[in-house]
Amino acid sequence: MDVALSRNGRRLLSGFFALLVVFLYAPIAVLLIFSFNDSDIPTFPLSGFTTRWYHQFATNPDLKAALGTSAIVAAISSAGAVALGILASIALARRRFVGKSVVSAVLLAPLVIPYIVFGISLLLFFHATGIPRSLLTVVIGHIVISLPYTILVLVPRLTQIDTGVEEAAYDLGAGPYRTFGLIVLPLILPAVVSAWLIAFTTSFDEYAVASFVVGTRQTFPIYLYSAVRFPNNLPQVIAVAVVVLVVSLLVIIGAEIARRFAERRLAA
Amino acid sequence: MGRSQGSLRGHIATPALLGLPVAWLIAFFVVPIVIVGLYSVDVYSLFPGAHGFTLGAWHGFLHSSVYLGLFWKSVKMALIVSAVVVALAYPVAYYLALSGTKRKYVLLLVLIAPFLTSYLLRVLAWKVILGNNGVLNSFLAWTGIRSANHPLSQLLYSRFAVILVLAYVWVPFVALPIFVSLDNLDRRLLEAASDLYASRWQAFLRVTFPLSLPGVVAAFFFVFIPTVGEFVTPSLVGGTSGYMYGNQIADLFSTGFPDWETGSVLALFLLGVVAVLTLCFARFTQAREAT
Repeated sequence: MDVALSRNGRRLLSGFFALLVVFLYAPIAVLLIFSFNDSDIPTFPLSGFTTRWYHQFATNPDLKAALGTSAIVAAISSAGAVALGILASIALARRRFVGKSVVSAVLLAPLVIPYIVFGISLLLFFHATGIPRSLLTVVIGHIVISLPYTILVLVPRLTQIDTGVEEAAYDLGAGPYRTFGLIVLPLILPAVVSAWLIAFTTSFDEYAVASFVVGTRQTFPIYLYSAVRFPNNLPQVIAVAVVVLVVSLLVIIGAEIARRFAERRLAA
Repeated sequence: MGRSQGSLRGHIATPALLGLPVAWLIAFFVVPIVIVGLYSVDVYSLFPGAHGFTLGAWHGFLHSSVYLGLFWKSVKMALIVSAVVVALAYPVAYYLALSGTKRKYVLLLVLIAPFLTSYLLRVLAWKVILGNNGVLNSFLAWTGIRSANHPLSQLLYSRFAVILVLAYVWVPFVALPIFVSLDNLDRRLLEAASDLYASRWQAFLRVTFPLSLPGVVAAFFFVFIPTVGEFVTPSLVGGTSGYMYGNQIADLFSTGFPDWETGSVLALFLLGVVAVLTLCFARFTQAREAT
């Protein structure tokens, strides 16, 4: 006898699982359907197939500029967050020091701060210090938000590695930087890549904090937020949404397949 | 960890490792919050002129039924969202962890993948679906289920819409901690319960559920914390009845009549509540790990 589930219980729960998956993917499917619908407003009945919304957004300079801006902001802030995250993670995983619990509390605190509070804090900080709002201020905020995520990914990986290999490198005369570059970094590379991916997507999608500290150049989420308020933009926005959602789903699936492949190779 | 002594030679010093990350967070995280504190007591102000320390805004806030009422409304909405989300995610996590299905990690990825895509775009999808002339209402009218003259008008711009969309956004995320706690469960405990003539329900209530409680509490906490201060979703789908405490803070800083002093008080109050909850949660997990 299966102690966790009866046969009927299993059927019931698998049905419930299927329903929940439908609930999760239906809105994305709705966007997909209406991105090809030949009408200015997304309503039933459908009124014919068109790809013009995709053409429109591909030739919309504001939208393209916003996507480019977000790509730059995400690239810089994710690189910064990962660099700071690696430094902090090595200290947290490998060193003993006084006040470690306080330091790790500070490093992880951005995880729980409400973004509205952090957003206005940065706004007041930049106002008080006279730093003008720009893409740089967005990058600064996004590094703060992403840093704890990179630490949460990197520390477990660092604690998994056998420190004996590092000791061996030292014994063979490698300095700390060569040891890091030749031994530690390759070993934690998969975790570095996931940390970078998380930081990049966090920044690329971040609206709440950016809305308070962004300058005149719009990031993609800020463009989207203002665009959805005008109904005539809606079909275009739906088309962009489909592209972004589908691409990110493909990246997630690709990353998972790559991870499994790597694990299998390591196990073999 | 006995390595720390031996590995001192040739290692990068700990302050060199921690210096930059900690300095970054102090400069751009801790100091900004302190500055909010200074604005809340009018030592700093948006408007130039003479200022001195005053607790006027704090006093006004604590005696204002509007702001505190709005806070309670947000707490209630966040509690509903967290409860709904945990109730939806628990059976699914249970199924994946304990049904013995071979594809559990694939199915888990299917469940979580939407969470890893754009938050703003998933909220946008619901705006398209729920509007008075939106996808759902036009579908109902088109199929003749409801007359086109009487659309379901409370779908968008309502408290219901905010709760629905936030639950939608969080369900995949919440399944994860619950799944982990159930997946780590020692199945021999269930077999023991069964050997001792416990029914499946008894085994669930006396063994499985208590052991999965850390995952449930973590899930509840990780939804409640961001939801209580949420302002993006309510501003997109909430209208006036879905207006939350976070929207009030945002409006005090961004409308035509900004009031940074009061806004700072509201923000710090929210931060204080979140900090207390976080400490309770940390205590809870530590106590669990200790036993």
